[in-house]
Amino acid sequence: MSWHWIALVPDGPPPKQPAGAATATTLDGTAAGTLAIWTSHAKPLRDARRVDGRLLDDAGAPAVVSLVRPPAGVRLKFDDGAVQQARRRILALGQPFDAVTTLMSDSSHFEGSLVVARGDDAVARLRDDPFARIFDAVLLRVGAGVLGTMPAPAGPCIERYGSAQPWPWDVYAA
Amino acid sequence: MPDLTPGARFPDLELPDHAGNVRRLSELVGGDPTVLQTYRGWWCPKEQAFLRERLVPFQEEVEVAYARIVSLSVDAPEVAAAFRAGVGARWTFLCDPERTAQTELNLRETTDTTNDPYVPAVFVLRPDLTIHTAYNGYWYWGRPTTDELARDLRDVTREIRDDWDAPTP
Repeated sequence: MSWHWIALVPDGPPPKQPAGAATATTLDGTAAGTLAIWTSHAKPLRDARRVDGRLLDDAGAPAVVSLVRPPAGVRLKFDDGAVQQARRRILALGQPFDAVTTLMSDSSHFEGSLVVARGDDAVARLRDDPFARIFDAVLLRVGAGVLGTMPAPAGPCIERYGSAQPWPWDVYAA
Repeated sequence: MPDLTPGARFPDLELPDHAGNVRRLSELVGGDPTVLQTYRGWWCPKEQAFLRERLVPFQEEVEVAYARIVSLSVDAPEVAAAFRAGVGARWTFLCDPERTAQTELNLRETTDTTNDPYVPAVFVLRPDLTIHTAYNGYWYWGRPTTDELARDLRDVTREIRDDWDAPTP
């Protein structure tokens, strides 16, 4: 399996034993819930979305993330010009983020994104998250034990949505 | 000495990219036809022209057509990153400042003893890294036009995609 489920669970422990989970807080320290990733084939809860499986690392270090989610009931096609341009902007970055994945529940719609950064300049870099130009982003500090580091997208491909793989998945399954 | 002619397998190089991350060529190629370009360096006006006039405009098509581009030079990562950003490229640039891969490939341009750059060349690779076409770009007009690259990528795509003929009901 090359994709997993992810959700930000606002209250209480995540259901159905995630493969990785960590508490999330806003930049001002307000509790935001638990960011959890499941490897099950079945969707663990209604708000979960598919992410690139390489995102999960149960030994991953704490990180700052930019979580972009559309308003309830809204979703854009990956063909949308705004989504295409955001992916091009990600590829054009000189300094890649630690991880990038789009969120999706089918094979053709963009339903948000998660961008991971670490280091002293993580917050500053994430404030320029290209996906945050599409929908509102929230910046969160996420504890250890869930988020890994993915190789930067090879580029220049932006076509990686037709096979139900969250972009930038850039290697075909064997 | 590797054979870099059509039909031979291109070595699966492992080098830092423009951001300093070690990347393997086969990882960058993934499952797609790939244009691998060796270039002299940011300072060469021919390389600037080839990138600005051919490869960078061509990436608009490559990025939606399940194909890849990879560039390779002796520039250090920070230099390659600046050059890549300056020309507007969105693909991966591999960096060989120690000239290890250049030696392995025997692609040193011996007529430039100041910079010891790569011989400019373009290889169109299949996903298994076998060479479909090789262009010698020492003289600028030896380099492929975008039409030639499109023909090569069409040939490789036709070879590797079982659904080249659109599936019928």
